[in-house]
Amino acid sequence: MVRLFFVETLYEKEIYLTDKLKKYLKENKPKTIALFAAIQFIKLEKLKKEIENLDIIIKTTKAKRTGVEMQILGCDNYHDSFKEPIIEDCDMILYVGDGLFHPKALLLSQIKNKKIKSVVLFDPISNEIKELTKKDIENQIKKTKANIRKFLNSDKIGILVTIKPGQQYFEAAKTLKEKIEKQNKKSYIFIDNTLDLRNLENYPFIECWVNTACPRIGTDDITTINQPMINMREAFDPIKALEDLEN
Amino acid sequence: MFNLELNKVIEEIKKQKPKQVLIQLPDGLKQKANIIVDTIEEKTSAKTFILFGSCYGACDPPYGLDVIKIDLMIQWGHNRFHKETW
Repeated sequence: MVRLFFVETLYEKEIYLTDKLKKYLKENKPKTIALFAAIQFIKLEKLKKEIENLDIIIKTTKAKRTGVEMQILGCDNYHDSFKEPIIEDCDMILYVGDGLFHPKALLLSQIKNKKIKSVVLFDPISNEIKELTKKDIENQIKKTKANIRKFLNSDKIGILVTIKPGQQYFEAAKTLKEKIEKQNKKSYIFIDNTLDLRNLENYPFIECWVNTACPRIGTDDITTINQPMINMREAFDPIKALEDLEN
Repeated sequence: MFNLELNKVIEEIKKQKPKQVLIQLPDGLKQKANIIVDTIEEKTSAKTFILFGSCYGACDPPYGLDVIKIDLMIQWGHNRFHKETW
């Protein structure tokens, strides 16, 4: 068995409340902030203290798959991905880091809420502030709804399984296959290491796909492929998933 | 700009004494792969190799490394994660 060792690769400079971020907070006047960060930017003691000095309450929580409090991963993208519901209980969601993959999980996790709160991105390297809004995932929500409907109406389902240990759900895939076949439908399980979605077109007999690997394949990659695909979670309870989205 | 923590890595290799090490780097750090390999091989006796492809996260170490007898894989830019149970 191969042993694993992780290097967090922390950002070396101290992260503080820049004038730009201070101005932004003063303009938007949040009373409470739900604070998240990518692991490289997790050392936020100074920034937290400086924000609290503006009479703003900072709330943090631990997301299910992460190693530490406040960290956010791309796959913690469901409403029940967090220990405490701080996203619902805050005026502003603030993410410290670069890139869009991780903070987008904070938007996707609100998909079943009536109001999807924007996520404010603060990049300590460039001192840039951006906002991710509902608009940034609207296409994904639309596609997800359409794909779940397609799944419900499909008779031949393809289930994708990766053999990468961190994302492998072979047993769940087999359980899902049984569940699907109890409804007099056919399903096939496809196995690979990296799931290269260009291969989907080789199986034109499949009417809808289910992804069991990284959940972001079923939320993000679906907008760039022609074939309908949903995540395993939705496939186990498609009616409930559809109800949540149509709230 | 980001701390590669090579001292910690060397210390860990000396402690674990792997014969063969594989390093996995996110795209932004792949350009440092040679520096990391050179440093590890200079300071330890572990033969060190570079994973060519993806490094999407802590969930992404490849399968089958035991076939080529990799004893230790070191991944930068991520920390231990908790796989969801189904």
